[in-house]
Amino acid sequence: MARKYYHDDPKWSDVAPLPQEDYGHHPLAAIAYTEEYSEAMGYLRACMAANEHSERVLELTEHIIGLNPAHYTVWLYRAQTLSALNSDLRAEIAWLNPTALQHLKNYQIWHHRQTIIDKLGSPDGEPAFITAMLDQDSKNYHVWSYRQWLVKRFDMFDGRELKWTEGMIDDDVRNNSAWNHRWFLVFGGTVGEGEKVERDVVVRELEYAQDAIRKAPQNQSPWNYLRGVIRRSGLPLSALQHFALEFADPENRPDDDVFSSHALDLLADIYAAAGKTELAVKALDLLATRYDPIRKTYWEYRKGLLEAEGRKEETGAASAAAVETAAA
Amino acid sequence: MAAEDSSAPPSARFEEVLTISNRIEELSNSENEYEEMGTVANEHESANIAFINSITVPIRDKFQTETSMVQDDTLGEVLLFLEGNPNDFPLNNFGLPQLQRAKHKSFLEKAIGDYEPHMAPLDAARPWYTYWSLQGLSALGEDVSTYRDRVIATFKQCQHPEGGFGGGYGHLPHLAATYAATLSIAMVGGEAAYECINRKAMWHFLGRMKQADGGFTMAPGGEEDIRGAFCALVAMSLLNLPLELPPDAPARQQGLTNFLDNLGDWVSRCQTYEGGISAAPGNEAHGAYAFCGLGCLSIMGPPKETLNKYLDVPSLIHCLSSRHCAPECGYNGRTNKLVDGCYSHWIGGCWALVEAAAGKGLWNRGALGRYILSAAQFKKGGLIDKPGKRPDSYHTCYNLSGLSAVQHEYVFDEDVNSDIGQDNLGAPFHWKAEKQVEEGKVWGDEDVVAETHPVFVIPSQAATDCRKYFEANPGF
Ligand SMILES: [Zn+2]
Repeated sequence: MARKYYHDDPKWSDVAPLPQEDYGHHPLAAIAYTEEYSEAMGYLRACMAANEHSERVLELTEHIIGLNPAHYTVWLYRAQTLSALNSDLRAEIAWLNPTALQHLKNYQIWHHRQTIIDKLGSPDGEPAFITAMLDQDSKNYHVWSYRQWLVKRFDMFDGRELKWTEGMIDDDVRNNSAWNHRWFLVFGGTVGEGEKVERDVVVRELEYAQDAIRKAPQNQSPWNYLRGVIRRSGLPLSALQHFALEFADPENRPDDDVFSSHALDLLADIYAAAGKTELAVKALDLLATRYDPIRKTYWEYRKGLLEAEGRKEETGAASAAAVETAAA
Repeated sequence: MAAEDSSAPPSARFEEVLTISNRIEELSNSENEYEEMGTVANEHESANIAFINSITVPIRDKFQTETSMVQDDTLGEVLLFLEGNPNDFPLNNFGLPQLQRAKHKSFLEKAIGDYEPHMAPLDAARPWYTYWSLQGLSALGEDVSTYRDRVIATFKQCQHPEGGFGGGYGHLPHLAATYAATLSIAMVGGEAAYECINRKAMWHFLGRMKQADGGFTMAPGGEEDIRGAFCALVAMSLLNLPLELPPDAPARQQGLTNFLDNLGDWVSRCQTYEGGISAAPGNEAHGAYAFCGLGCLSIMGPPKETLNKYLDVPSLIHCLSSRHCAPECGYNGRTNKLVDGCYSHWIGGCWALVEAAAGKGLWNRGALGRYILSAAQFKKGGLIDKPGKRPDSYHTCYNLSGLSAVQHEYVFDEDVNSDIGQDNLGAPFHWKAEKQVEEGKVWGDEDVVAETHPVFVIPSQAATDCRKYFEANPGF
């Protein structure tokens, strides 16, 4: 790309660029800016100081973004200018598209896109664009967060979005970002954060996660999802016991017969909730010594909680007995 | 070098670890069989191999997806470094590579030196580079106050006339830059450095970032996420700023009067169904945001109160604990993602805060120490994400901070520093570094890095001195 300067451009003759101020000592991580970058920044500072929003400012910001796409100030000022000028936002999106692919991990670009689409008031074309981005990087945090914003902003909590998410999970059942998106669609939207969930939705979600677990039992994503659904719906953890026993059964099967450490983890909580402390301890021991030993201290901590809980119950039972005795 | 060639075939050992993982399908095999398969491995190597075998999960799904394939590739690369010593580093008493202090020091010094013109894309991140290098050097035991004049010159340029710091001269103020600037200034310390901050303007800037829902945007017109909440509170706490929202704060129009209004609830909404913490409500749980969320709550009050009040702590611990990758030994940032050295801090640093709320002994320090020393040191200096990657100051800082979290134990105790931090977000000034850790020790004395403040991630003394100064000089 040809270098671009402003000092001899008649369009800019009315502007005196603002050079960078110096404070004596040599700054840290100082960059030997090119003359081009330095000059363009000088003109931008002058425009910002004068609060100028104009077509030439759009050109200037485009130029600087080309030199440094991680320059949040330029992006933010460009967004302000677009808004002040009532610019054609469709054209802005068309300009953004090729840039986004090159800079998937750039916070600014996604935020800018969000600002523009919000103003435009229409999500047209965005889902397809996002899908193309995820083809490059299926777990990109900015892209998924942007999609969640989009769904919420345009109330897209519908069957179509859910179907698309299922496709993403089908592509890779271990894609946790896709699982999180499913959660967001099912529990984060119209249902509201605190509201009660319909029973058939709960059943559908439990079955969906269980089917996924059967494909790859050591995949933690659907196990976390399953626990989440139980917690969110207020069902007792024991509702999952039958399912978890498919993958491990510390009570009835040999210790070698474990197909998922996450099943043991879940069973430990199920047994604990049911007061079956011995079985809970056994599940945690299997995790600590054999099936997930890197987390040994954590499993031991969970055992410690069981014992503390047991002591509490004993004292509780003792005092209840005392109350009964006293009442009699 | 093997580490830089991702197309290299998996090592024989990798196949072996997979075999251990497949043990579930070969129940008749004895466990010791695998140890006899060692070739000419020396004593250290066989000790390392035995350790890796001891933490390998003996279950492996046959069903392959993109995630499991990149996972296998990564494990193959990482194992070479966990077991052998491809960098030829001198070894410590535990047979692991020693911390390459001199090399890392010179890497970090270079990172705050001068940059060529083609590095313009880091223009807005200069405050970060400064913070990462100064904190990395502090962890290595260097006295960074020698950088005072240059830090002052750097941040005078970055300070915005209407408050807060930006990435450079004339940049808009940004909470990430403000965070990095405040911490860098606190690290070099001294009146001249403290006084270069326009606190009153800062207070107004932070007031403009506060949102009615409780959170903070990163910049005017910028994104609202949990980094904003954490960065704002770090600045407020270190600079002893009033909690009252300034009169011109837009959130006042929605009835808010205090910086903490709705904040705890907003952080609560960032806790996901997995138990971890996301950038903003609805997003995926992520290690870096977990640290920001816990840091934010630990500034709002004693962790035992605030974490238990605003979070489901058992599921939080479950999620953080699940981030430990076996047998890679390091942390990942999200479920089913790859191990990465920066999470040595983002997750490793969470534990002091969580343990203050839930009790000690939650995590495997030794395994993480192993990842940092064996797999995250770059041959020529600097630390890395994972073998095969290039070093940068971000991964150097956060691996070293993670190593500090591994080696030191912190206790929250209201009686510590009771002369300061009695109001205005003073809770984080009541931590003490209790002792060096012995359990799971895989580092020699020469590998010990300096203790680090568990919330501010700078030397504790620097945090205390800064707060003391602004308690003695509270006016604007
Ligand atoms: Zn990283």
